[in-house]
Amino acid sequence: MRFMVLVKADKSSEAGALPDEKILTEMGKFNEELAKAGVMLAAEGLHASSKGARVKFDGKKRTVTDGPFAETKELIAGFWLWQVKSKEEAIEWLKRAPFDQTEVEIRQVFEWEDFGPALTPEIRATEDRIRADVKMAAKPR
Amino acid sequence: MRFMMLMIPKGYEKAAPGAMPEAKAVATMMKYNESLQKAGVLLALDGLHPPSMGVRVSFSGGKPKVTDGPFTEAKEVLGGYWMIQVKSKEEAIEWAKRCPGSDNEVVEVRQVMEFSDFPADVQEEAGKFPEMQAQFGQRRGS
Repeated sequence: MRFMVLVKADKSSEAGALPDEKILTEMGKFNEELAKAGVMLAAEGLHASSKGARVKFDGKKRTVTDGPFAETKELIAGFWLWQVKSKEEAIEWLKRAPFDQTEVEIRQVFEWEDFGPALTPEIRATEDRIRADVKMAAKPR
Repeated sequence: MRFMMLMIPKGYEKAAPGAMPEAKAVATMMKYNESLQKAGVLLALDGLHPPSMGVRVSFSGGKPKVTDGPFTEAKEVLGGYWMIQVKSKEEAIEWAKRCPGSDNEVVEVRQVMEFSDFPADVQEEAGKFPEMQAQFGQRRGS
């Protein structure tokens, strides 16, 4: 099972502050453990929402709003993608993360098997083609 | 530059465990996914099960506390994401505008941090990270 682990933004990440050396060292060690255990599939940090934008949909109309998005408490600062055997295993890993004061969300990723018969062979074939191509493109630059 | 397009479907915070998108919605979105792929901008994409099946772990003074979903106080939650490789934020926004989003949906466009965005001393500290990312790449590619 794959899980997405969402690290929330806070005032400091939203101010564009980069993590200090202590946090980087501790997080580096944790990431290394995840990698060695074969749990880690991806890890990324996001720039502050002030550099981002939101697109709202209304029929064919699109409304673009520039960041920051101060009104939401749910902004994301970064995420991991983990491969584990259960939700419990993901929780156990997360409990060991070197966070001091924050909230992190664990969410299961949809796999094609989850859709069952609702997924027509046509959709599945298209999706397989996209994923094969994406894997090629996902090599680090 | 890499950007995340974060799909935020309003109402998903209340979705029951096991809720699935409709086949028709999946088919429409698949056409969009294919257009991203054909343009060579798509790096990764995933959908997430409802938050009612997830957990939140809050850390206070380093001590973890686990709360099961749903997260009733949340006004918005993530439904899925695309990771794209484009030349500018404007290009990322153009792609987000082409998404067949519904009236209840918002797509948030956020730039992904690259190793080169960090100052030299931080890069040194996190020296092993590109190596680790290369490993994930290989695993994903295998």
